[in-house]
Amino acid sequence: MADLKVKICGVELKNPVIAASGTFGFGREFNEVYDISAIGGISTKGMTLLPRLGNPVPRIAEGYGVILNAVGLQNPGVEHFISNDLKFLKDKGVTVIANVAGNTLEDYGKICAKLDGLVDFVELNISCPNVKAGGMAFGIKPESIKAVTSVAKDSLKSTPLMVKLSPNVESIVLNAQAAQSGGADCISLVNTFTGMVVDIERRKPLIANNTGGVSGAGIKPIAVRMVYEAAHAVNIPVIGMGGIMTGEDAIEFMMCGAGAVQVGTANFADVNAMPRIIEEMNNWLDGHGIKDINEIVDTVKLN
Amino acid sequence: MKDLLATVKSNVSIAENIYAITLTLTGPLKNISGGQFVNLSVGEGAMLLRRPLGICKIDGNDLTLCYQVKGKGTKKLTEAKAGDKLKVLLPLGNGFDLNEFNNIAVIGGGVGIFPLIAAIRAYKDKNFYSYIGFRNKAAVCLLEEFEKSKLLTVTTDDGSYGDKGNAVSAYFSDKNRPEADVIIACGPPVMLKVLKEELEKRNFNTPCYVSLEERMGCGIGACLVCTCKKSDGDNARVCKDGPVFNIKNINL
Ligand SMILES: Cc1cc2nc3c(=O)[nH]c(=O)nc-3n(C[C@H](O)[C@H](O)[C@H](O)COP(=O)(O)OP(=O)(O)OC[C@H]3O[C@@H](n4cnc5c(N)ncnc54)[C@H](O)[C@@H]3O)c2cc1C
Ligand SMILES: Cc1cc2nc3c(=O)[nH]c(=O)nc-3n(C[C@H](O)[C@H](O)[C@H](O)COP(=O)(O)O)c2cc1C
Ligand code: FES
Repeated sequence: MADLKVKICGVELKNPVIAASGTFGFGREFNEVYDISAIGGISTKGMTLLPRLGNPVPRIAEGYGVILNAVGLQNPGVEHFISNDLKFLKDKGVTVIANVAGNTLEDYGKICAKLDGLVDFVELNISCPNVKAGGMAFGIKPESIKAVTSVAKDSLKSTPLMVKLSPNVESIVLNAQAAQSGGADCISLVNTFTGMVVDIERRKPLIANNTGGVSGAGIKPIAVRMVYEAAHAVNIPVIGMGGIMTGEDAIEFMMCGAGAVQVGTANFADVNAMPRIIEEMNNWLDGHGIKDINEIVDTVKLN
Repeated sequence: MKDLLATVKSNVSIAENIYAITLTLTGPLKNISGGQFVNLSVGEGAMLLRRPLGICKIDGNDLTLCYQVKGKGTKKLTEAKAGDKLKVLLPLGNGFDLNEFNNIAVIGGGVGIFPLIAAIRAYKDKNFYSYIGFRNKAAVCLLEEFEKSKLLTVTTDDGSYGDKGNAVSAYFSDKNRPEADVIIACGPPVMLKVLKEELEKRNFNTPCYVSLEERMGCGIGACLVCTCKKSDGDNARVCKDGPVFNIKNINL
């Protein structure tokens, strides 16, 4: 049994496997399948100041080895989370990452202030490609990433700030650096790639929103490349994700410089994906005689 | 709710483009109500999403699902052979709860009849009055499952079997329609929409429960991709809050 504990910004996670935002709700449903205290952490469904009903359906489609989604940030609002779900997650002993989004800089400041001191991390979703009014606008350019990061940071006195980067950008390196210079304590990537699937019989996009965010196994090589580049451009911790389906996939991200990983779409293909991935990571480490997961972080050498 | 590795016992065509697959589970399924469904893995790797299929029949450790070949997942499923292993997450959602009713009108269209079969099978001593519709004669299947109904009307869109028409119009135009304490229905979205309109138009106060379909991600209520609209404007999750809803409470 290898030691799977990792430390990100001074917060200890019992293992590096975190549920990715939007795929795990607030943990209650998966807890009906297995005890979620087994996983390292949960990034909550993306929350906004006020409740949102989200996009029309269909909200999901499938491609080869990938899925597309356009939920449009349906969520009960941050206050509802604080009064209804936070205690449940804390009692489970998982690291709680509040994923948040806003339409304006002011929204980001306000929502961070509400969560300050209550959760283990705030993860800034500046990259959700589905919300017309904001989302993408902040996540594309280094200047706006820096601006939104510093507004959020100013509102967080005691909770570390994680900034989640979009892959639909010109330079992941410049954007990672912009988050760092805006005051991010760590960064996470990647969010989904904007894509489209067409129903050729109706000659219409399958998803009501027309476009959706692509995630799942098929995006992994692009995500690995981006995580490697980002991790080597900043000196704050990086949380890697994008298409992780197995323990070996998670190890690949960690070898590229990720201090922890998030798992999203795999939870749909296999409800038990996260405990399985943790076990597979442990088996791989044992098989290679490695006692501590931290030994593998950032060990890839380019050719 | 559990994810099981089930063994395919048989997988046969029962009508044009419709198959029945029987899976042997590691133990018996208890307390299942019609309308509950499973999330079946059809092609790991390439197809990351599971396919939701209504529970149709349970015999001891054997679970039968009936499916129409629609797209690549159900097409792939037709290739499953006896002895193959498939992952199946079950049971999911809330089914029809008929405990307090005795006289039950059943309205089903196309693949919508499968969850209704499970509802009928779940109750031994109730009176069912069934109205079921198919596209044409080639699509007709599983009529034997409706035979214990006190009354059975079968329709086809083109009149090639039974009465010409559809299940909803057959129900409302039946002059000898028995008094029902509840209506349960499942079928294509347009059928349910017409059913809702007819009930409203006629001021029916018989409670009516319908089973909905929506594209799904997790199947357990966590991802919010399977939303339907409630009449109060809020959202509900088809997979977790449904798939069976009181028709009054949802917009169709
Ligand atoms: C609760 C529930 C119970 C169902 N029960 C049955 C049943 O007993 N028998 C039966 O034949 N069909 C049933 N369906 C519909 C069935 O899920 C779809 O026909 C099937 O998923 C199509 O898959 P595909 O791979 O062939 O099509 P594709 O178009 O290749 O599928 C792509 C994606 O869209 C989804 N999808 C496509 N059509 C539908 C649909 N109508 N509803 C939900 N998801 C869809 C698929 O699950 C998959 O994720 C049910 C649906 C739901 C929601
Ligand atoms: C259905 C769904 C909903 C998502 N919702 C959010 C969200 O609210 N906020 C966010 O930051 N990311 C969201 N994501 C993106 C994931 O958190 C993750 O970044 C992405 O899916 C890539 O990881 P994966 O390939 O393991 O799924 C969502 C993804 C999916 C599939
Ligand atoms: S499919 Fe995920 S909430 Fe219904």
